[in-house]
Amino acid sequence: MQKVYVHPLPVRIWHWINALGFAALILTGVQIRYVDLFDVISFKSAIQLHNWIGFVLIGNFFVWLLFYLFSDKIKVYHPELSPLKHFRGSLRQLQFYGYGVFRGEPNPHHVSAYHKFNPLQSMAYQIIMQLLVPLQLVTGVLLWDLNLFGGAVNLFGGVRVVATVHVLLFIFFTAFILVHPYLASLGHTPLAHFKAMITGYEEVEEPAGGRPGGDDTPAPGR
Amino acid sequence: MYMPNTRCGVNRTEAPRRTRIPAAALGLFLAHFAVSLPAAAAGSAVDSLPEADRQCLGCHATEGMKKNLQDGGTLSLHVSGDAYAKSVHKANGCGSCHSEVDIKSHPPSQRDIKGLREYSIERAQACGQCHEDAFKQHAGSVHAMRLSQGNPLAPVCTGCHGSHSVTPRTAYETCVTCHSAALVAHEKWLPNAKSHHEVVSCAACHAPAALRMIDLRLYDTGTRTWVSEQEGAARFEKLARSIDADGNGLDAAELRKLLGEFNQGEAAPRKSLRGRVELRTGAEAHRLAEKSKAVKTCDSCHRAGAEPFRNVTVSITGPYGRPVRYRAQETVLGGPLAMAALPEFYAIGGTRSQLLDILFVLALLGGAAVPIGHLMVRLIARRRLKKGAGGNSPGKTGDHGK
Repeated sequence: MQKVYVHPLPVRIWHWINALGFAALILTGVQIRYVDLFDVISFKSAIQLHNWIGFVLIGNFFVWLLFYLFSDKIKVYHPELSPLKHFRGSLRQLQFYGYGVFRGEPNPHHVSAYHKFNPLQSMAYQIIMQLLVPLQLVTGVLLWDLNLFGGAVNLFGGVRVVATVHVLLFIFFTAFILVHPYLASLGHTPLAHFKAMITGYEEVEEPAGGRPGGDDTPAPGR
Repeated sequence: MYMPNTRCGVNRTEAPRRTRIPAAALGLFLAHFAVSLPAAAAGSAVDSLPEADRQCLGCHATEGMKKNLQDGGTLSLHVSGDAYAKSVHKANGCGSCHSEVDIKSHPPSQRDIKGLREYSIERAQACGQCHEDAFKQHAGSVHAMRLSQGNPLAPVCTGCHGSHSVTPRTAYETCVTCHSAALVAHEKWLPNAKSHHEVVSCAACHAPAALRMIDLRLYDTGTRTWVSEQEGAARFEKLARSIDADGNGLDAAELRKLLGEFNQGEAAPRKSLRGRVELRTGAEAHRLAEKSKAVKTCDSCHRAGAEPFRNVTVSITGPYGRPVRYRAQETVLGGPLAMAALPEFYAIGGTRSQLLDILFVLALLGGAAVPIGHLMVRLIARRRLKKGAGGNSPGKTGDHGK
């Protein structure tokens, strides 16, 4: 096993703030939406907490965005431009999750500092980080002050449209946050990826005749 | 005696009062009327008034007409004919409120009025002749209590509604005339206070014992005004009744159809429905409680099945400014078609969509079932592999980068 520095500090800070924030937003969101079913904190407190956490996550989003915009690590988000290659890679990854993992086959994706996402993750995080999260943040801000953002709300098609988009994304992120830790436990040990997101280093098997991850893998500690 | 033909008389085809005005008095009035007519009847609105009312305005439309009071103050006797002719009381006539006026001795040589406040309180009794329900509700209100305590700021009827120019106004417009700092005060504790003030009638919270409802009012997004029906061309109720064939209130599809009728011929739908939390009866808006007793709990509205959301009406501003309402089913607020029919009305909890609730439950079940199911299959597969490979652990390679 060799250690590869995959998660730089700003990404790790962003990730864990995001994780806690998402959990808190989902819980307060459930309290706000289902006040007739749950009475853990008052509706008003839930709204206020939800708003504050939302703004923290907006700031946090910009930590992520600025880091990647001003770092060569943005390559991890570069899409595979060959559809055929992307399709084949995705299929291989699906086969692994749906069949190979049960047979103890190795993960077809090899992690490196500039290729930390497998084809499925690459596509998913492109959509999540560049479309879904910004959309959730924007709709949240619009709902935060409907009067101030009345014009934008009308552009969206009305407050119900904005709220429905916000709730649909809330539903998606709820499912995401349940599945995400499980997928993160599919490393070479159940806690390997969790540790990596704390230390920054992924433990990868050294391929025969070369450094892990191929040519683009920087030296540990980069 | 100058008497109205009915207590709240609106039938202006009968005119018994004219026959009771003595010829001499009538001559005097007509002479005065001729002099004052330009000031009194400067517009066509005044021309539409009955002759008896125009006779009154013959004098009372005179700018600056006033009476000295015992306390040194003055009482304006000027009535804007135009404003009166546009008021909701136009059809009632002067005599319906001023039944004490005896045309034979009017103007009286001497009628002592102590002060403006005393006169306003005395005159408010006239409102009770027609607005009996509102009067009863008002009797138990914080305004009535303050009045009985002698608070000089406590309003009587005319304090909120005006006297000769009563027009239908929203409760908000009425209340903020005095409570001008209401918005600032609410912003200190109420999230989205301005939006709340736009869509929630003041009395919906400040008359906590009153029953509330959701009123979906037709709004013109082009002119940014409430859609009004012209006198004599009212079609809203007839249309709603014909669409609601089974008579059980408009359902979501019927509501869309009604909206479609009002948007016929438009390139893009201009008329939309904007929801407001209103009281089920206007009279109950007078049952205002002390501030400490006002509804302050958010979940009075922001929960599924909250009381205001169980009664829904669709309305249009009627010919006299009053809403013409038609009942709708409560399911129109949160059903799948609400996105199309009511894109501009949404209240957390109150208009909750069941479809989204189902999706949320599916997301929870799916979010739990996928890891549990996958893990179970992995464990079973591992056990089998162990057996097959003499106890060797299956491969543990994997990745899940972020």
